[in-house]
Amino acid sequence: MKINILFLLMSLAAGLTSAEQWRDNSAASKLYFAPSFEGLPINGEFRQFSVNISSDPNLQPESLIVLVQIASADLGSSDLNEAIQMVDWFDSQGFAEARFSSDQIVATDQDNQFVASGRLSLKAAEKTIEVPFSWQQSADGSIRMLGELKLDRGDFAIGSGEWSSGDQIGLAVKVWFDLNLVGTND
Amino acid sequence: MALKNFPEQWGWLSKLFHWLTALLIFVQIPLGFYAESLRLSPLKIDVFVWHKSLGMLILLLVIARLLWRIKSTIPVALATSRLQQLLASGAHGLLYTLMLALPVSGWVTSSAANFPVKLFWLIPLPAIVGPDNDLKSLAAEVHEICVFIIIAVLLVHIGAAMRHHFVLRDSALKRMWF
Repeated sequence: MKINILFLLMSLAAGLTSAEQWRDNSAASKLYFAPSFEGLPINGEFRQFSVNISSDPNLQPESLIVLVQIASADLGSSDLNEAIQMVDWFDSQGFAEARFSSDQIVATDQDNQFVASGRLSLKAAEKTIEVPFSWQQSADGSIRMLGELKLDRGDFAIGSGEWSSGDQIGLAVKVWFDLNLVGTND
Repeated sequence: MALKNFPEQWGWLSKLFHWLTALLIFVQIPLGFYAESLRLSPLKIDVFVWHKSLGMLILLLVIARLLWRIKSTIPVALATSRLQQLLASGAHGLLYTLMLALPVSGWVTSSAANFPVKLFWLIPLPAIVGPDNDLKSLAAEVHEICVFIIIAVLLVHIGAAMRHHFVLRDSALKRMWF
């Protein structure tokens, strides 16, 4: 009996202090990207990706892992979608998945604003990048996570060879997301 | 030289419209086939920017030309028979229709393919429709059919002009020249 109560207390304490796990509710989460042509954006999105994030008991995000299925990239037309999967571009046959995993997440001096720094492995390259985001709990208990960053496609050899100059297809690619995260602890 | 048309002579604005669109169309058609034949490359994209830029220029010119035509006297036809007269006006109507249908179907193709365009690398062309794969295929089909029809009608048009000039020896070609 004594042992049981002790065990109960211990698990309660553990429950209070343990990390919380969150993952994206895919139906309500979007990961967008926009390359540019002659300075004009082409808006697209990745249809398949997953986000896993853990927070401390005070809901401060601690670690973030994002996996993106590259073949799910959608620029709104079959012509463009076929083109971007080619070897010079995403080469999704050779590199099916992109992965970001944070090394650390720091709070900024603004409320609910954080910066995750970590490694993005995309195509053949791995680069340290920073992902700024806002993180806020909604009334239903889920988390809304929003952010935007710029990547240089040249860092990842996306658009290599004759495309590498960036004269037509710009080097900067905007990436942004609007995620709905739900707790997975229970 | 008069700006306006007369019953026996085209004015200089009509002549300018005619020869400018003729020149642009003679560049535009081979340019389109060339662009289409290239493998996907920066060159292909540049050739398509030229093709789309010229296409929109032609569209503007043709609209201006039609407005001018509606307001103007049309020189009397030089047809030698009722049938010829009918053929000539049919061919002219078809040419105007195709000169509008070609740029518009090209514009729809480009917009439905979700490809942004900067005319002459300067002026962003707004999308006429949203991204749509089925519409893109349909518009591309229409564009291609129209180009083969316009080639055929242009051959008839040029052939008829030659016949007027060399066989009938009338003023049909001369009155369109400067």
